[in-house]
Amino acid sequence: MTLTENLFENLRLELRRGCLTLAVLAQLRQERYGYTLRKALAERGLEIDESTLYPLLRRLEAQGLLASEWREEEKRNKRFYRLSSDGEQIFDQLLKEWQAINISINSIL
Amino acid sequence: MELLDRYLQAVKKHLPWQRQDDIIAELKANLEAQLEDKEAELGRPLTNEEAMAWLKLLGSPIQMAAPYQAQQYLIGPAIFPTYRYVLQLACTWAVVINIIVSVVRVAAEKDTSPAAWFGVLQHIPLTLLMTAAWVTLIFVIVEYAVTHSKTKWMPPAAPSAGWSPAELPPLEEGESAGQKPRSFAHAVTEVIFGFLFLAWWLLVPQHPYLLIGPGVLYWHASPFQLAPISVLFYWWVVGVNVVQLAWRSADLIRGSWPRPRPAQTIVVSAVGLIPLGLLLSVRDHAYVLLRNPAIDQVHYGEALTSINLSIHWSVVVLCAITVLWLVWEFGRLSLDAYRKRMASMQ
Repeated sequence: MTLTENLFENLRLELRRGCLTLAVLAQLRQERYGYTLRKALAERGLEIDESTLYPLLRRLEAQGLLASEWREEEKRNKRFYRLSSDGEQIFDQLLKEWQAINISINSIL
Repeated sequence: MELLDRYLQAVKKHLPWQRQDDIIAELKANLEAQLEDKEAELGRPLTNEEAMAWLKLLGSPIQMAAPYQAQQYLIGPAIFPTYRYVLQLACTWAVVINIIVSVVRVAAEKDTSPAAWFGVLQHIPLTLLMTAAWVTLIFVIVEYAVTHSKTKWMPPAAPSAGWSPAELPPLEEGESAGQKPRSFAHAVTEVIFGFLFLAWWLLVPQHPYLLIGPGVLYWHASPFQLAPISVLFYWWVVGVNVVQLAWRSADLIRGSWPRPRPAQTIVVSAVGLIPLGLLLSVRDHAYVLLRNPAIDQVHYGEALTSINLSIHWSVVVLCAITVLWLVWEFGRLSLDAYRKRMASMQ
């Protein structure tokens, strides 16, 4: 990877990081487990690696934004995640922030 | 699927031990669901090669496990600015206190040999290292306590809340628009005064009244005379001033007088340290001697000792000021050079 490609990759990851959190929180307004969440995001054009998504879910849960529970579905135990009440509040705030940034960036571009 | 189980087993070895089983159970459920989808798409089980290609896409076990590890810092970003601020303060004061204590100790022990002064300087790196180590250790403990405490504690920020723009120091010379260029009149004056000083200094041996005025009469009548080291010192001063004058004249001729090279003053000052070093190395601080020791020792011995001691301490102070100035200038120049290099790289 050349220096420019490496720089681009770093900046791209930085740009995506915050967006991914917002997307995950948005998707988890409805309860899902890891794999279906990944599929749902991919169907909307947001591909995300397993090694990024699953640890992200754990971190968001540790921060109190998600709640989770183990439940059996299709003869398999799965961990289901959904937004916690704190998570809903923060998600609303982040969404407003995102929309404001989006409008600003669009007007700048 | 055996290959998936082997993969998960390898991942498990790199996970935080308290949550290994929970994470592996979740990963297994997710990856098995993914595998089932793949096999449903193909309408058959994955071949060994396809399974290996899929696992390869997931990343190595270490890559898969790494993001589950809590981010670990010795000193985290929340307290790092405070750490840096305290470190700078502590190191500065440690060096200042160390120098003061060492100078007092050397003076008290009455061992003012160059080796004793070298010992003072020798202690500075160790003092810096020990101070930095203690400050770092304290902040590492604070970081550990903060990250492992149940309550969310916010460290105090570096003192910035109470600052006022009115208290900002005035602009330093040369900071606003690069170094202020030296005027032509300034450069010419420096050369003229350099020449006059050299001429005056060269005349002093034949006409000592130029240095001590009417005191020369008392000097000739006094029982004291200068030690031979004074001749060496005299010619070193001549040499240093000739070099400085030649350098300044060359600047004037070449037209480089508006911005003299900063290294120039450092070199001249460093060379100027040599005669001071010569004076410091004089045995028993014998800068002034008695003309007839056998006769005058009884009457003037004490006065001689106190004259020599005064000269010695003056040289020590001068030497210390020059060394500190050199260290400061050298540090400033190095920092400027580093900044310029970084700016040229951007």
